[in-house]
Amino acid sequence: MKRKTLLLLVGLLVIGLLATGCGGSNTGPIKIGLFSPTTGFAAADGTSALQSAQLAVKMINADGGVLGRQLELVTYDDGAKPDQASSIARKLIEQDKVLAGISGSYSGATRAAAPIFQEAGIPMISAYAIHPEITATGDKIFRVGTLADVEGRVGAELVGNVLGTKKVAILTIDNDFGVSLTDGFKAHAADLGLDIVLEEKYPLGETEFRPIIGKIIAANPDAVYMTGYYNEAANFVSQAKDEGLTAQIIGQEGYDSPKFIELAGPASEGVIITTDLNRDSDRPMTKKFLEQYKAEYGEDADMVGASAFDAVQLLAYAIKTAGSTDPDKIAEAIANLKNFEDVASGPFLRYTPGREVVRPVGAQIVKDGAFHFFHEFDDEALITAQ
Amino acid sequence: MPVFQNLSNALVLASTYILMAAGLSMVYGVLKILHVAHAAVYTVGAFTGLVMYTWVANFWLALFGAMVVSGVMGVLIYRGVYFYMLDAPRTVPLIASIGMFVMFTDLLQKKFLMGPYQKALPVEGAGMPALNVGVVSITSTQMLILVVTVALMLGVYLILSRTRIGLGWQAAAMDREMAGAVGVNLNRVVALNFFLGSALAGAAGVLVGAYNNSVFATMGDIVSYKAFIIIVLGGMGSLPGVIVASILLAVVENFLVASVGYVLPRDAVAFLVLILMLMFRPHGLFGRE
Amino acid sequence: MSGYVISVAIFVGIWVTLALSLNILTGYAGQVSLGHAAFFGIGAYTSAVLAVRYGQPFWVDFIAAIIITGVVGTILGLPSLRVRHDFLVLATMGINFVVVAIFKYVDFFGGAMGLVNIPAPSFFGATFRGGTPYLILVWGYVVFVWAVSWYISKSWVGLAFNAIRLDEDAAAAVGIGAARFKIYAFGISAALAGGAGSLYAHFIGSVFPDTFVFVESIAILSMVVFGGMGTLRGPIVGAIILKAAPEFLRFVQDYRFTIYGALLVLMMLFQPMGLLGDDSWLWQLLKRWFGKKTVAPSEEVAQ
Repeated sequence: MKRKTLLLLVGLLVIGLLATGCGGSNTGPIKIGLFSPTTGFAAADGTSALQSAQLAVKMINADGGVLGRQLELVTYDDGAKPDQASSIARKLIEQDKVLAGISGSYSGATRAAAPIFQEAGIPMISAYAIHPEITATGDKIFRVGTLADVEGRVGAELVGNVLGTKKVAILTIDNDFGVSLTDGFKAHAADLGLDIVLEEKYPLGETEFRPIIGKIIAANPDAVYMTGYYNEAANFVSQAKDEGLTAQIIGQEGYDSPKFIELAGPASEGVIITTDLNRDSDRPMTKKFLEQYKAEYGEDADMVGASAFDAVQLLAYAIKTAGSTDPDKIAEAIANLKNFEDVASGPFLRYTPGREVVRPVGAQIVKDGAFHFFHEFDDEALITAQ
Repeated sequence: MPVFQNLSNALVLASTYILMAAGLSMVYGVLKILHVAHAAVYTVGAFTGLVMYTWVANFWLALFGAMVVSGVMGVLIYRGVYFYMLDAPRTVPLIASIGMFVMFTDLLQKKFLMGPYQKALPVEGAGMPALNVGVVSITSTQMLILVVTVALMLGVYLILSRTRIGLGWQAAAMDREMAGAVGVNLNRVVALNFFLGSALAGAAGVLVGAYNNSVFATMGDIVSYKAFIIIVLGGMGSLPGVIVASILLAVVENFLVASVGYVLPRDAVAFLVLILMLMFRPHGLFGRE
Repeated sequence: MSGYVISVAIFVGIWVTLALSLNILTGYAGQVSLGHAAFFGIGAYTSAVLAVRYGQPFWVDFIAAIIITGVVGTILGLPSLRVRHDFLVLATMGINFVVVAIFKYVDFFGGAMGLVNIPAPSFFGATFRGGTPYLILVWGYVVFVWAVSWYISKSWVGLAFNAIRLDEDAAAAVGIGAARFKIYAFGISAALAGGAGSLYAHFIGSVFPDTFVFVESIAILSMVVFGGMGTLRGPIVGAIILKAAPEFLRFVQDYRFTIYGALLVLMMLFQPMGLLGDDSWLWQLLKRWFGKKTVAPSEEVAQ
């Protein structure tokens, strides 16, 4: 009797040891981390990012998960503060033991977290923070969002070649997003020989644009390249209408939110923006994302959300392709990616050596109170980050 | 840009400043507390206005409701918090006020209240006429703001100068202890003061929300400091001072941007003006201290 | 100790020095400032500029941050001479806004793009970004700032500060020139905050203007008042609790700031002298438990 019990116990022990594997469970959920601002001034974007990422995880798990295991999203609120992001990064890596991280936050916070992930050898994906130095941190840091510089150049292409206008006024928000966009815009505008009749900066959160609109009207442009987020854009666009500005207004993905149309009302009609979320797309994942986001949260998705959604999709793909939970293999899988279709804002053609995504950049126009397809830019030279 | 159009826009902007700051001036005038939480009252007013407008589709009712709710909130803040700090060192009510501001703003940002996104408040001028006189055009919403501001300021002036409570406030503003000594019911005066001042903040919230067509939890951030700039510029506790300072500040801001653009953000400009004022004329334009 | 815990301890340490330095200006000298984050930022940016644009090593830009912020603080203290109390609060608020606006709009400071790639400090050949060595560095600075505060509180300068805080006019009447000492207070307070800024910049590796906004000044003042303004122990405890709180409150993640705000209000209502202020419940309790036993005859009778 005693020997049988002993044998049984030994057997159980052996099985137990095998089950725990070497260095971590391989039957439990695969954890990925996400930090985004769900409190404070950036709460709108943080909430979009969080909800979209959670949706992606839900969808992936419903489809059987990754490598036969469920995906688990560990999330923290960083309030868009660098010091919080810095601590959260360490927490995710050491305590939650995540396989990879996603930044659903702004540039300052993302830039603070990136070196920590890089040093630990854990891949991190920046969903929508556009500061160029983020990906320069190291070979484990990737970006899903279109680099602002690229988007700016596309904007110039849109103004010059697609719309055929020559005189442009630039009004840019004063943060890194706006400055990068404008730099890209001006670079390509110079190539195209566009005439920049006015260039002004304005502070983030500004609500009173009437005086500057007056200046713009006086400069008499054909188009106005105005960078900002949906709230500044909505104020600008409706005040521009009131004050009688008739030039074509060109926006970017910062406008890309149903809130822009809601807040600007009829004044949003006819505004064209460069963005990667095509509401009229036939692509299955785009449709799936738009429909399911609406079904799950009762509101329309925005570009920030799409970026976070795609970051999760990218990670899932990388883990599947790598066939393992080895962070080096995962990073390699992303770097070697070709024509990835399972994203809402894709397809992702490839990644540059600098770990920036190369993908077609779209343009949407507001028509009948909703975003619709306007144009797609896929000239490799234009859309590749330099 | 035609000067007159700029001026007209500046007057509307000034009206929003007047409403933001007048209420604070009343509160500060008597208690001398840096009532940062005024900005939270403002936001709650905007939110109440939005909810009511969505519910009854009548702007005036929504405005009235917002003013009442804000007024009550102000009284509660006074009686529940400041009342116990009247003789404490200045930092105590300041930190308490900051605490209330942080608390309410964070709470308001939750999904079950305002949520993190901005919401539209499309009042379309609430039936006010638009005006087009040659070089100046005033939209109906702008007209609405001008009319309501003038009406409310007139109302406040009448209350302060014609009613007993109003006179009591003026006395208390000049010298709290003396006013108490001559029989002014301080508690009631202050409470009414808070009610009125907070109601004005609520009105400001609704009007700014309508003007920018957006209501959101952090809209009070600007008010938390800008209102103070104005009451210092105008002279602490002086209502005419608030009006003049608001107009001056709005005009300077507008014309500066219209001519040289945003050399610095508008708020930094306002603060520079404040610092200069504090260095050369610390009691403000109309102040007495 | 895990890297996470160490990093939280490092941030707490940095904010403790911020609270202690503000305490010198506000708690000792009675000059209530809502612009302390500006000095934090000036120190951080000084270090960042020297490191990134001029390739200076850590010790150079750390010392420079302290000195330069002290000088700037002294200059920025000048407008404050003519104003008191609430006006001063607003003037310091204004300074905060203007300083941040300059960081954001002037390209030399990186503007909106901030300054990145600030190198880790190296000491006798070993570089250390984070980890135990940096923890020791930061808390070494905490001890230094605490020592400076302690020395001031016991010195003639401290007495002068106290006199100004209690009654500026009376102080002038006995020959204590308020202006001179206010400037000292601004200068010392700013310099120490500048050092904190340098430590912050080198730890995170990048600086952006929005880290040093007015909201941060509010947070620092709250720590000082919450803990017990004017005492040496108060700001330390206040900073530790309020800075570490978000980390511990992560289980109520969504309501962190609601609780934070409520905590401040409740503290001011029930313990306005601060958690460890001289007459606070907790301090009295600690004194009873651990203080010297002196039983005077009158006390015995009172019982």
